Amino acid sequence: MRRVNLSLLTVPELVERFTACGMGQHDANWHGDIAKYNRLFDEVVRINDELARRPGDERKALVPLFDHPNPQVRLNAAQRALAVAPAAARAALQVLWDRKEFPQAAHACESLMALDEGTSRLI
Amino acid sequence: MAAPADAARARLRAERTEVPGRGDAAGPRHAAARAGAQVGYNPSQPRVPKGEDGAGEWTETDANGTPISKRPKGDRVRLAGDWPSNNPPEPLDDEPKNFTKEPATSAERTSVMKYIARRAVETGVSVAVIVGTARWLLLREAEIVSYNDPPASLDDLRKAVSTPAPGYDIHHIVERTSAEEQGFARAVINDPINLVRIPRLKHQEINAWYQTKNAEYGGLSPREYLSGRSWSVREAVGMRALRIHGVLKQ
Repeated sequence: MRRVNLSLLTVPELVERFTACGMGQHDANWHGDIAKYNRLFDEVVRINDELARRPGDERKALVPLFDHPNPQVRLNAAQRALAVAPAAARAALQVLWDRKEFPQAAHACESLMALDEGTSRLI
Repeated sequence: MAAPADAARARLRAERTEVPGRGDAAGPRHAAARAGAQVGYNPSQPRVPKGEDGAGEWTETDANGTPISKRPKGDRVRLAGDWPSNNPPEPLDDEPKNFTKEPATSAERTSVMKYIARRAVETGVSVAVIVGTARWLLLREAEIVSYNDPPASLDDLRKAVSTPAPGYDIHHIVERTSAEEQGFARAVINDPINLVRIPRLKHQEINAWYQTKNAEYGGLSPREYLSGRSWSVREAVGMRALRIHGVLKQ
């Protein structure tokens, strides 16, 4: 994915890019391309930080992605929106775990455990 | 009459008993040659008819010897993507709907196997039916089935180490390679208390998890996070890995 200046993008454009990253990570998982997965993880973090920086914390724009058909997009959105929509984000993580949508279910379970233990790095 | 999947498995078993194993007395080269003669080119094997998707490619037959592609659609072995009931999640566009052709890479083969295992749970359809006549998957049926094992106690996972079984691997709770690199003694790494028998596809999934960046580890991969850390921290992460992958009871 080409690196762009995220500060120049609108919120819908950032959400679109966030979605594309998740789908790319899902594809990387499928093909066992861990390096690609990790590169896209870094881009997800960049987009998250840009959304959080916008007035009013625009990470709430990720909430509609809780219903996205791609499990990696749902995981990323739920983890990154935990601070702004904790109940709905937690429910989205729980769905990933309940449906056993691995490998995303493992990450979702770990985030749920961290929330319960009060050790989450995402809130 | 036997179901198509049963018949296909019976054929496979018959072939498998004839294919020499690693211990073949005549050596691996001769064994491979004989295996090739037994399962290789067969001019009478049917092909997909002209005008159909994949025309000209080798195809599989059902129990009656009819090419699968010639059977009425409603009579075919059910494949993921065809699910008619219970409102299951729709497959993503980039996921496979036909498993006959073996993927080129190990990672893709693993992904297809996990996909089938998950579909079996979601739909209540057995792995054997979903696999149908896909020979490469029939050979790996044990791996696919074991992926859906329910979580077990640590005691049971450790006890199972003494009884190796198809579809399972011996797994080090504290990762072996990185522990060796960090100077932990092999006697500690390979101690029975650090070993569990787990489903092979779960083993691979956990290995991948150790290498992928993780939001709960500050953006590091678990393996990066554990670099330079104590045995007890590694053990705690290793136990957590088993739990979050549904291998160890919560």
